[in-house]
Amino acid sequence: MAAITANTLTELTRLKVFYVLLLFALVLIGSSIFMARLTFQQEFQVLKDISLGAMSIFTSLLAIVATARMLPQDIEDRTVYTILAKPVPRFEYLVGKLGGVLLLLTITTLIMTALFLAVLSFREQAALAETTRQMAGLPQEQLTEALRAVRAATFNADLIPGISVLFLKACLLASLTLFISTFATTNIFTVVVTVFIYFIGHLQGTAREFWLQEHGGSWISRTFLAVVALLFPDLQLFNLADEVVTGAAIPLEIFLKTAALGCFYTLIYLLLATAVFNAREL
Amino acid sequence: MSEPAVAVTGVTKTFPVPFKRQSVIAVRDLNLQVEAGQVYGLLGPNGSGKSTTLKIILGLVSPTRGTAEIFGRESKEVASREAVGFLPESPYFYKYLTGAETLRFYGKLCGLRGPKLVTRVDELLELVGLTNARDRRLGGYSKGMLQRIGLAQALVHEPRLVVLDEPTAGVDPVGSREIRDLILDLKRRGITVLLSSHLLDQVQEVCDRVGILADGILVRDGPVDELLAVENRTEVVFENGSDELGQQLETLIRAAGGQLIERRKSRKTLERLFLDATRK
Ligand SMILES: Nc1ncnc2c1ncn2[C@@H]1O[C@H](COP(=O)(O)OP(=O)(O)OP(=O)(O)O)[C@@H](O)[C@H]1O
Ligand SMILES: [Mg+2]
Repeated sequence: MAAITANTLTELTRLKVFYVLLLFALVLIGSSIFMARLTFQQEFQVLKDISLGAMSIFTSLLAIVATARMLPQDIEDRTVYTILAKPVPRFEYLVGKLGGVLLLLTITTLIMTALFLAVLSFREQAALAETTRQMAGLPQEQLTEALRAVRAATFNADLIPGISVLFLKACLLASLTLFISTFATTNIFTVVVTVFIYFIGHLQGTAREFWLQEHGGSWISRTFLAVVALLFPDLQLFNLADEVVTGAAIPLEIFLKTAALGCFYTLIYLLLATAVFNAREL
Repeated sequence: MSEPAVAVTGVTKTFPVPFKRQSVIAVRDLNLQVEAGQVYGLLGPNGSGKSTTLKIILGLVSPTRGTAEIFGRESKEVASREAVGFLPESPYFYKYLTGAETLRFYGKLCGLRGPKLVTRVDELLELVGLTNARDRRLGGYSKGMLQRIGLAQALVHEPRLVVLDEPTAGVDPVGSREIRDLILDLKRRGITVLLSSHLLDQVQEVCDRVGILADGILVRDGPVDELLAVENRTEVVFENGSDELGQQLETLIRAAGGQLIERRKSRKTLERLFLDATRK
C-alpha cells in the first residue's frame, strides 16, 4: 500500500503538477503589488481574502484533476492487471492511490501556507516600518499601541484552522472524485460531475434552509435531506475564510465539527469507491 | 501428483453487451487442469476466450458460473496470488518509471524490501537482458522491451506458477528464442507455466500439454506428443547417406509391407536461418 502511495506521488510529481504552486506565488505577489495604496488593515484583509480564496480553488482543482484520470488511466493501460495480479487487495490499491493524492495535497498546502505567511510577514515588516516613520514625533506609548494594532491585523491564530479546513475540503473532493471515477466511463464525465457536485455543495446550505421552511421537519423530508447531504456535501461549511479574514475567532467546537465532517465524508467516499470497484469488471 | 497448480471447474463467463438483449459468451463450461511442474499452452483464434480464461484464473475477472483455483486456493482470495506471476497481453506500465524502478515497485507490492529487493531487481534485469536500459524511462521502451520488463515483473517474487498471455508477441526472433529458453529454464526449476499463444511452432516446442479453445469451448486438451502423433507413421532423418541408401531403405520398407510416403531434403527452419544470420 505504501508502495502504491509513493508511486502515485512520483507519478504526480513527474507530471509537474507543482506548477500550480508557481501560479499561486504569482497571484500572491501580483495582488500585494496593486494593494500598496490601501490602509494596512484593508491591505491585510484583502491579502488574506485573496490568498485563502486562491488556496481553496487551487487545492480543490488539484484534488479533482489529479484524481480524475488516475483510475481510468490504469484500467485503460491495463497496468491495473499487473498490480491486482499481485497479492494486493483492491481496497489497498484504492487507499494507496488516494493516499498519494492526499500526500500531494499536504505538500502543496504546506508550501502555499509557507509562501502566504512569508508574504504576510514581509508586508507586516513594511507596515511596521511605515508606522514608525509616520509617528516619529509622537509619544512612545502611542507608537507601541499603533504597532500592536498592526501586528494584530496581520497574524491571527485562526489562519491555521482556516487553512486546515480548506485542506480537508480538498481531501473530501479527492475521495469523491475517486469514487466517481470508479464507475465513470470517461475522465471528462468524472471532472464534470465532480465540479457540478462542487457547485451544488456550495449552494446546498441555503437550499436546505429554504426547503425546511417550505416543508417543515417531517421525517420524510429529513430523510430526503440526509440523502441529498450524502450526495452533495455542504461545502459551504468548509468556508471559514470570512471569519479568518475579519480576524474573528473560529470557535474550537465549530472547527472540530467541520474537521470531523471532512474526514467522515472522505472515508465514506473511499468506502463507496471500494464497494463499486470490488464489483467492477476490469 | 499433489494438488494441481491450476484447476478450473465448470467456468462460464458472459459479458453483457450494452444496449442489447443478448450477451457475449466468452468462455463456455470450461474444465481445465494444469499439473504442477507442467508447461501448458492455451491455443485458439482471436476472441476465443484465452485472455478471459487467464484473467479468471487470476481473479481479475469473476466467472459467471464455476470456480477457479490456484494450488487449491480460490482465485477470489487475494492470498491465492502470492504463488503466481502474471504477464498480461501487450502490457503497459507506468511510463514515468525507469526499468529498475518498475521492478522495485512490483517487488514492493509483493512484500520484498531492502537489500533483498535490490539484488532481485538486478538479477531480473540481467535475466531479461535489460541491464543496459535499467535507468531509462519505460516511455522510451520498445514493444519487445516492455514485454521483457513485463516478464521480469511477473517473476519478481519467485512464484510457483507463471501465467503468460502471449509472451512472445512483438518480440524479435532472438528475443522470442530467449523467452522460450527462459520458459524451459523455469520448467527445469519446477515452476509451472501456463501460457497462451498464436505461434504454434513455439508452443509445440516448449509445452508439455496444450488445450485448444474455439468460441470459448475447449475442443482439445492433452499432452502435445499424444495429440500430434500420427499413429501408424514414423519419420527417419539421416545424414551423409547416398541416394542408393535411400533406394535400399525403400525396398526394405516395401518388403516389410509398409509404404514410403515422402522423401525430401531436410531444410533448416527460417528461424534457424534468421538466428544464424543475425548472430553477432
Ligand atoms: N471486458 C469485456 N467486455 C465485453 N466483452 C469482452 C470483454 N473481454 C472480452 N470480451 C469478449 O470475450 C471474447 C473473448 O475475448 P478474449 O480476450 O478472451 O479472447 P482471446 O482469445 O484472448 O483473443 P486474442 O487472441 O485476440 O487475444 C471476445 O468475443 C471478446 O469480445
Ligand atoms: Mg488475448
